[in-house]
Amino acid sequence: MNKQRLLLPIVLLGCIAALLGGLSLFWFLTSNAWNFFQSFGISALWQTEWYPYEDLYGFLPAILGTLWALCIAMLVAIPCGLAAAIVSSELLPNTWQSIARLSMEILAGIPSVVYGLIGLWVLLPFLQEHLNLLTGHSLLAAGLILSLMILPTIMLMAQDALDSVSQEQREAALNLGLDWNQLLIRILLPQAWPGIRSGLLLALGRGLGETMAVMLVVGSLDRIPQPFYNILEPAQTLTSRIGREMGEAAFGSMHFAALITCGLVLAVFATIISLSAQRKGSIA
Amino acid sequence: MFKSIFVCGLLLLTSSPLYATERIDIVGSTTVLPVVSQAATLYHQQHPNITITVSGGGSGVGIASIIQGTAQIGMASRNTTEEEQAKLNGKVDNIIIAADAVAVAVSKAVYESGIHALSVEQIADIYRGKVRNWKDVGGLDARIVVIDKEASRGTRHVFAKAILGNKHARAAGASIISGSNNEEQAIISHSNAAIGMLSNAWLNNKVRGIDVIVKGTRISPTIDHVRDNTYPLARGLHILLPKHASPAAKNFVQFLLSEQGQSIVKQVGYLPIE
Amino acid sequence: MKYMLVLLAIPALLLPAACLIYIVYQALPALDVDLIFGSDAVVIGVNSVGQALWSQISGSLLMMSLACLLAMPMAASIALFHAFWASHKQKKLLTSILQVLQGIPPIVYGLCGLVVLVHLLHWGISLAAGAVILSIIILPLLASNTIHALERIPLEQTESALSLGLSKVSVITRVWMPQAWPSFLTGLLLSMARALSETAPILFTATVFSGITWPDSIFSPVTSLQTHIFYLAQEGSNEQAIHTAWASAVVLLTLVLIFSLTALYLRRYERIS
Repeated sequence: MNKQRLLLPIVLLGCIAALLGGLSLFWFLTSNAWNFFQSFGISALWQTEWYPYEDLYGFLPAILGTLWALCIAMLVAIPCGLAAAIVSSELLPNTWQSIARLSMEILAGIPSVVYGLIGLWVLLPFLQEHLNLLTGHSLLAAGLILSLMILPTIMLMAQDALDSVSQEQREAALNLGLDWNQLLIRILLPQAWPGIRSGLLLALGRGLGETMAVMLVVGSLDRIPQPFYNILEPAQTLTSRIGREMGEAAFGSMHFAALITCGLVLAVFATIISLSAQRKGSIA
Repeated sequence: MFKSIFVCGLLLLTSSPLYATERIDIVGSTTVLPVVSQAATLYHQQHPNITITVSGGGSGVGIASIIQGTAQIGMASRNTTEEEQAKLNGKVDNIIIAADAVAVAVSKAVYESGIHALSVEQIADIYRGKVRNWKDVGGLDARIVVIDKEASRGTRHVFAKAILGNKHARAAGASIISGSNNEEQAIISHSNAAIGMLSNAWLNNKVRGIDVIVKGTRISPTIDHVRDNTYPLARGLHILLPKHASPAAKNFVQFLLSEQGQSIVKQVGYLPIE
Repeated sequence: MKYMLVLLAIPALLLPAACLIYIVYQALPALDVDLIFGSDAVVIGVNSVGQALWSQISGSLLMMSLACLLAMPMAASIALFHAFWASHKQKKLLTSILQVLQGIPPIVYGLCGLVVLVHLLHWGISLAAGAVILSIIILPLLASNTIHALERIPLEQTESALSLGLSKVSVITRVWMPQAWPSFLTGLLLSMARALSETAPILFTATVFSGITWPDSIFSPVTSLQTHIFYLAQEGSNEQAIHTAWASAVVLLTLVLIFSLTALYLRRYERIS
């Protein structure tokens, strides 16, 4: 049969195409970043000034901004998301549970640019008015909009993990005389922890790579917040810098190489996150 | 799987030249954009076989696209820098289609608190971060929201050169970076204490242009003052046309310079060339 | 503790509804038939903005379907390789690589696409560049979904079919396809939703603000709903533009939800059957 002989080559062709894509991506990122580091040294990563016209490429403000935005997002989203998962999986009746799930899945489906719209026209005026900020553009705004985006990931994964804890275990625990709180802390959470954990890491990865929404609300100011924990001032993140400057940096210039290095830094962070999600996941 | 490959190939084949039209891609300054996009709509009505795409991004993006050959026509609201000129290598015609004024724009509340004019030195102090409150220049008691623009934007080059003395000068007092004119206009109109740089066509009731005081004379950002060359932040609006551009692209630029094109310039609020 | 949890959970559970209602509420002034099919290209200006979204919608959908068509054969080959030829070690490596690729931020793919496709290959800002970038972005998702779909088929069935002398091709067409099509479709629909909601990677590689109603070749730029929202979002003091932005958001959201909710429905249907 002709078809039989064709299968393997076609499959291999597809795989090679995908592999080539992945490899060229990797090669491309590292070679450009290599050029950049050769001219500016690895120390660019922790220098504080970013000003392409004076050949100053310090990554620290954007890296710090990214970390701050992620911290805020996780601080808000973890308690809310976990609580929502626990409430919906343990306390709500079945119909309400599926409604909660559905609404979370809808929230997960909202495209990031729509979140940007919400951030720009709802969150910023709100922050400006109630926290007395200059314009509302701030790390706090970025963190809050990110928390909204990663909430469904955390909640859905946690709920899946909680649902998979068997009913017998719950009953056995209750028969032993544990009350609801003890059941939750001693049985449910430890059992569901691997699932919850990978949900958290997935959410972290999503928040790290989010561009549009963050770009619209963070203010894009290349400066380390003064003092460094001041989250109420405009700042910069890696993704928003790439988004803002991608068009204007001439191809082949140092500025462009620096932006690609930003991309590499992002990719390295993302790889670390997803690898750590995999490792612990398989042990537990 | 075979089917999908087949369908894929078929689609690629059929979607290529359906009908013969010529396309001109125009990219660049958001200040020039209103003129060019309206002209493009008009031009497309008159020449249906030519499609014109228009995108913003800023002067830097426009010039970079011409250097990289990703667009046929670039828009810029500033002169090209030395590095850019070196890369363009004299192969591009720089055509001025209009002139406008970069206004120093403030929020309505600031204007109504009595700030109708600032001297060049005062504006420079605000952008350098030496003056941080409006009351220090005679206005209300509020922290100044200093709006800076992305470094390659045309408006920023003109502003920084006239106010801070160097087109790449840093603005240490900046509290936020904005991109397009629209974005900046939005920030100013939603704030009560903002100052920014905007083309005079973007001024409105909520975004007021103030006069600039140069060596004791007070000059308002109007087209008349651009015409008589007294306003310090006046500039030409440029079109970058590669010398090897297609006839269609050249014709469109001629259209911009024609009476019809120049009437759009006037209508948007810029100074037509004479 | 229960009450504390409930207190924390309330905002999280109410937010989705609040978001949706708010988006639709803001969009109402601009939502009508004219919005989609209205007259064309009254776009831009200092203070005017176009109405018709038809070209943006078709641009988005076109780019999405091209991306899926490109990604499908690649994902299928990866899954088949995984199912037929890969050793245990290779399988583990493959899934781990796919997960890593899935975690890499889309804007990084966009950046690479900008350099390789737009500049090095001289495709220019084009539909083709956007479609290829999107296809690479959705490839890991689509491939791992396909792999999972195949893994869910009982091993005995495949083995007995093979031992009966069925060729690999007939195993695929006669045993796997009839059984696993809902999960294939689920994966595909989810990838489509994903491709439709990505904005940053196509902003500089595939789209322009205005001027294109229907791309006349794959190397022509397109307009897309996602980037349209982005441009309009910044149209500060222009009320109408903002309402159009919210309305575009409603349209985009509807499209995305059609795909993702169908996928969810299929998944549930599959679990029950």
